[in-house]
Parts: sequence; C-alpha cells; structure tokens
Amino acid sequence: MSRTAISAPADGTTVYITPVTQVRWRALHSRAPRHAAPAPSRLPIWGVALSAAVGVLVVAAAYTAGRLGHSSSAWADRAYWLGQSLILVPAATRLLSRRALTAGGTVAVLVLLTIAEYLIKICYSPVAFTYADELEHWRSAVDLLQSGRLFTVNYVLPISPRYPGLEEVTAALASITKLPIFTVGLVVVGVAHLLFVCVLYLLFCDISGSCRAAGVAMLCYAANSLFVSFDSMFLYQTLALPFFALTLLAAWRLPTRRTAGQRANWLTFGVITIAATVVTHHVTSFVLVMSLTGISLVALLTGHRRPAVWAGGLALLSAAAVAAWLVFAARQTVAYLQPYVAAILHTVRALLTGEHISALATSTGPLGNRILAVAAVLTISLLLPVGWWRIWRRYRRQPWAVAMAIGSTSWYVIVAIRLTVAYGSELAGRAATFVFVPAAFVLALAVIHLVGSTLRRKAGGAATIMLVAVLLLMFNGLANGWPPYWERLPGEHQVAGSEQSVGAEEIATATWTLALLGPGNRFATDFGSYPVLGAYGYQNPVRDVAYLFTSPVYSPLVRARSRVQALRYVWVDRRLSQSRPAFGQYFPADPEAGKYTHPLAAVGLDKFNRAPGVARIYDSGNIVIYDLAGS
Amino acid sequence: MAVAVLTCIAAAVGAPVVVTAPLGIALFAAPGYLLGLLLFDSRVAGLERVAVSTGIAFCLPIIGGLLLYLARVPLHRAAWLGLIAGVTVACDVLLFLRRRGGRTAPIIRPSVRRLRPWPAAAFGAAVVIAACGLGLARLGVAVQYTPGFTQLWLTHRAAGGATANLGVRNDEGSTTRYRLVLLRNGRRVGAWNLTLANGQTWHRSPLLPADNTIAADLYRLPDLNQPYRHVALDVNRAPSP
Repeated sequence: MSRTAISAPADGTTVYITPVTQVRWRALHSRAPRHAAPAPSRLPIWGVALSAAVGVLVVAAAYTAGRLGHSSSAWADRAYWLGQSLILVPAATRLLSRRALTAGGTVAVLVLLTIAEYLIKICYSPVAFTYADELEHWRSAVDLLQSGRLFTVNYVLPISPRYPGLEEVTAALASITKLPIFTVGLVVVGVAHLLFVCVLYLLFCDISGSCRAAGVAMLCYAANSLFVSFDSMFLYQTLALPFFALTLLAAWRLPTRRTAGQRANWLTFGVITIAATVVTHHVTSFVLVMSLTGISLVALLTGHRRPAVWAGGLALLSAAAVAAWLVFAARQTVAYLQPYVAAILHTVRALLTGEHISALATSTGPLGNRILAVAAVLTISLLLPVGWWRIWRRYRRQPWAVAMAIGSTSWYVIVAIRLTVAYGSELAGRAATFVFVPAAFVLALAVIHLVGSTLRRKAGGAATIMLVAVLLLMFNGLANGWPPYWERLPGEHQVAGSEQSVGAEEIATATWTLALLGPGNRFATDFGSYPVLGAYGYQNPVRDVAYLFTSPVYSPLVRARSRVQALRYVWVDRRLSQSRPAFGQYFPADPEAGKYTHPLAAVGLDKFNRAPGVARIYDSGNIVIYDLAGS
Repeated sequence: MAVAVLTCIAAAVGAPVVVTAPLGIALFAAPGYLLGLLLFDSRVAGLERVAVSTGIAFCLPIIGGLLLYLARVPLHRAAWLGLIAGVTVACDVLLFLRRRGGRTAPIIRPSVRRLRPWPAAAFGAAVVIAACGLGLARLGVAVQYTPGFTQLWLTHRAAGGATANLGVRNDEGSTTRYRLVLLRNGRRVGAWNLTLANGQTWHRSPLLPADNTIAADLYRLPDLNQPYRHVALDVNRAPSP
C-alpha cells in the first residue's frame, strides 16, 4: 500500500500514513491550536527541561539543608522557592507565551512539570513513606502481600482494604518484580499521576479544540493545592483519578464513533475503567456517577441526544457498580463518610434557619500565605465569570463545555464550605481535586481570552498580568498546600506533627509492639505516633484518648473510661510535655484542638509510673509504653 | 509472549532483582499494550494510545485480582504471575489469529523525529541533574542527625507463662556499654554487663516471681548513678497477654 507524507497542522510533524487512514489522521489532528502565532517559542523544551531539573536539584539541596539543622533558616526557605520557580516559571511562560504552541510541545511541558514536582515529592521522603495516609495504605499493601487475601483488617484506616485497587496493583508489581513496596508504590502512583494529567489534557484538548487552552487548563489544575502532594501520594484516590478521567474519555469518544464495533470497544473500555474506579476509591466513584449524570443531563437539555444517551448509560452502569460494591464489599463506607456529610448538612440547615455557624480557623499560617490565599480565591472567583461568558459566546452548543461551566460553580461552594463548615478546610481541600477539573477548564478559557484580547490591542502588559495571575495560583497551591509551612523543609522531630513525627525511634517502637505484643492491641497514643503505630506496629490505636494524657492522676474515673474503651496499652511520648503540637492538636480526636497555649503537663504523662497495677513494659527514652491490664 | 516466558523462568529459578525488575515491569505493561491493540487496533494513536494502554495495564490486576480472590486463589506471586502472563499470552495468540485472518486495520506509524545533538545533550543533562537531586535527597536522609536511643523491655513471655521477656536493643549509632540490673521487690537479684554493637539485641527470660514486682534498671556506662532506662511489671496484678 502506498504511503503519503502528511503534516499535522498542530505541530508540523511529518508522518507517513496510508491513504486509507489519511482522513482519520487529519481528523485526529484537527485540534489545531486556534491561538497559535506563527513564530516558534523562544524558550525551547530542552530549556524548560534543564530549568526544571536544576529546580529539582535546588529544592533537594534545600531539603538536605533542612535535614542538617537549617529547616527554619531563611536562606534554605528561599532556596526552596527558587527551585520551585525554576520549575514553574519557564513552564507557565512557555504555555502562556504569544508564540506558536504545538500539541507535542504542550504535552512535553506538562509532562516535565508533573515529573519535576513528583521528584520533589520523592525528595521529601526518599527512603520510606512518612505521610499518615501513605502509611495506612502501605499497611494494607503489606497485608495483601503477606496474606494473599483481600479485605484484611486495617485498624488505622478500616475502609482502605474495602477498596483494594491500589494495593492489588502494588502487590502484583511487587510480586513479579521482587522490588520493595516503597519502590513499587512510587512507580505506581507516579505513573498514575502522570496518566491522570495526560488524560485530562486530552479531554480538555478535545472539548476546547485547542491544545493551548488544554495546556493552560492543566496549569490551572496544577494550582490546586493538593496536586503536588495528596494527588501524587500512595493513596487510593491517586490511582482512581486516572480511571475516572479515562471513563470520561470513553464517554466523550462513544458518541463520535461511526461503527458499532468501535462503539462496542470504547464501551468495553469504559466498563473496565468504571469497575476499576469503583474498586479503587469511594469518593472518586461517587464523583464519576455525578459527573456522567451531569454531562448526560446537560447534553439532553442542549439537544444532543447521542452524548446524552452514552453518558447516561455509563452513569447508570457506574451507579449500579457503586451500589453493588457498597452492598456486597464496602458497607463501612457510609459510616466512614457520615461525619463529613453530617457536618455539611448541619451547616446547610444552619444557613437555612439563620443559626450561628462556627467553623475552625481556616488559615493560621504566616501573613504572606494568607494574603496569597485571599488573592488566589479572588483571582479564581473573578476569572470564572469571564470563562462562563466565553463558553456562552463560543461553546454554548457544546454539552461538555456547558457541563464544565456548571461544574465550575462548585468552586464557590467549596469556598463557602471552607469558611462555614466544621471540617471545612479538610473537606474543601479534598474536594479541590475534583472541583478544579471543570474550574481549571473555565479558568483557562478566561485566561486565553484575556491574553488574546490584549494581543489584538497590542497590550502585552495584560498578557504578563495573566502569566502572573496563573503563577500566583500555582504558588498559592504550594504555599497553602501540603506539606504545611512548618514542615515545608524536613528537619527535626515535631511533636504531634505529620511527616516529621515519623522517626527512627517511633518506627522501632512500633515494630517492637508487633514483635512482642502481637497485632491488634488497643492503644492510646498521640496524633503524631498514631499512623506509625497502626502501620508499622499493626496495632489498633483509639482516637478519643486525650483524657488519659491530660488528667493529673490515674483516677478511678479515668480507669473506668479506659476500660469502657477496652484500652490495653498507653504509648506515652514524653516530648509532648516539651513542645506545643505542630498541628494544633495532640491527639487524633482532641477537644482542645487549636486552644493549646503551652505544652502538656509532665505530671499527666508520668502518672502511670505511680498507678497501681500499671506495668511499665517498654522504655526507649522518649517513648514509654504502659500496660493497663492489671489496673 | 517472550517477556511472559522469560519472567516466569526468572521467577522459577529465583533470579535476582536486577533481572526480575525490568522483566516484571515489561510484563506488567504488556497486557495493557496488547489489550489496547485488540480493542482499538490503530484507531487511537500517540498520547491516547499510551494512556489507554497504561490504564488497561492498571485495570488488569484490580479486576483480575478480584476474580482470583472470588475463585479462592491466594494472591501470591504465582497467582499474579499466572494472571498477567496468562493474559499476555492469550492476547498475543488472539492478535496473531486476527492478523492471520487479515482483520486488522492498517497501523499508523508516525515517524520518530530524530533529536538534534544539542537538545539531546540538554535532555540528557536534565536527567543527570534530576538524578543528582534524588541522590542528594537520599544523602540528606543518611547524614541527618537523629538522636540515638536504647530500647529496654520487660513483658510476660507467654500467656500464663512463668517467665518474662527481658531485652535490650542498642540503636545509639555506635557500640555502647550498659549495666542491666534486675530487681525483685526492689532487691537486686541479677546484673549483667553488656557491650552491644549498634543494632544489636540482647535478651533473657528471667523467672517471674509468684507474687512480687519485678523491675529492671539499665545504666549506660560509665554512669551508674542514674538509670538510663527503667521498666517494671507487677506480677500480682498484670494478667498475661
């Protein structure tokens, strides 16, 4: 069969294809950048790559400085931000420049940005998982590898084994490669994170018809405060996100396929990804059902019957799969999510009835961080209406774009939740992963329009303002995301903190509990040691135990309450009496959270030494374990 | 198919990680690639092809593992290897049969643009610099100062048993000398001078007294005035675990 040279309009790449597929190839590359300028970018891809690599090195140096005792020094902090700037600024500049932007170049920049930020995440904890949720999933993966069984017990995150997708993939790869779980976990979540970025880019590209808009939308998505942390950690959601995006891709492709065979293939693919989503993560599968339903309804309202039918069909399949999984495999999900749903419902009821609403402080960081957060909220809130206007002008007959516009209104909802609901900050943060999907798309249309309109008026300054606005969003995501400002650089042990509460002594003690006491004992411990004890020690730490540490004497009342909770051991970290808690709370469920003005009294921690019948069975200096069984 | 066979052989002969890791990763990716070909032929290309193949590769252990579990197959190495290698071989056979029947669409093969030397060198340098960053981060963990510690424990050895488990582990970072004193109702009944290398553990199984308190004081030599670690069991009141 003869072959013809053909140029892709998006990037000018010459390809050789048969005449049979020429039409298909042209159709595939019809997503030409509508805003492309003729001249190529002055900043080459290899320049972006070199800059990002140097950025990773500089951040790694800042982290090393932190570990060597300079975690609170200004120059180490500046080095961190310099490194991040070397990654973010060239990438954003290239995607927002007025020069030609190819599809390949856009993907390359996004891949470089994602990989560079992921490498920084690895540099933070390069030898083991330290974040609490990662430790909890690590425990589930270890259990699956050791027992060969699904749905095992995980005391610190009981819901995790009920959604075993991440653990299955990790166990399979670890089994056939013989690599450690940590290494395999990094590979799995790294690839999953990159896959999510690429599929989301493909979707944005198809919906907008512009690789530049898709690239800018992904930049805006990367400004989501959890993009570089929570969404690329060893957590079930990280793996579920690409399945979610692939299902949306299947829903997008299905109505446009011409033959029944092609549709059947995409439907098969959609069913597979729906099943994988449902088995991997609860909230992602709920959001998938809602997203497909929303797209179907919007398509129906805008008179697009085929997209409505296919999206609706996939929504029904997803809903059925979610319901079946909830009934037969993961009944605990309702109880797990109930407190969060109850908090939102309570706030909604309070708003409707005019009750007084009290939420926890939303930001207690440095002034600069708070200013950045306010500026980012204002920027997004002002840009979204511009994006809606663009959708009304240009995409109002396109159901997916309209669905994105409607979905992006949820941004204002999460801002309200952050300000009013009891668990507002956490809820809004977690929701940002999903809310930013439509919001980033609408923001990108607004940014592209504003840059384009200023070009027509030859006002390059406004284009620079847009670049600054996008960078502001991205730096806000880093500054107010994870790790929190007090743990931005790794360093000395933090009392009741997060990653910096996981040290050699905690791990050794937790491992000792498993070896000498056996698994599943009910423990009282503090916030920082809680995940270590559950993950490395395979123990069953109880959350509501503050009274046991704060009461000055081991009174009959305290003893009775500990018996009601069936507590067997108490893990006392004597450093609790030396520093205030980094997180504002000493215990997993702490009634005094955010109110501590001085460290815990030492008498409350030492009282067990004098309590009759309490055995002091372990002492490693900072950590002492007491056995309450004889008391 | 070759990857599947080689990986199975490597697993059977107990090959080292340097062999099993690349083979295992290739085998893990193979079903995604082959199932992608079976489902879509050449109808998806480029980034979409990579995304679809990777997505299927991730889906296989999730759905396959669930089916194996429902079939009461323990999910150990043999099961995972059998699942992934089996699907790979089956897809290979199906593709072969399909191609023999001439039912495949022509494959779009975009030409690979050759990278010019200067950009290639820059990308190579970027990889090396980023790798140095990772190395520096690992080095930082290795040289990070963490205060050493010593673990001392005293627990019941077994349910209803008459002996205790008394142990010391040195994690001070260097060889350390200790003196361990065992007390019964406050009276010294035993003592040991220990020299433990970093990471070394020492333990004994002293008899539990019938109705007394047993305690142990660990001194870090040369300081014999202040116990470095202290543990105590009240035998009367503490039931066996």
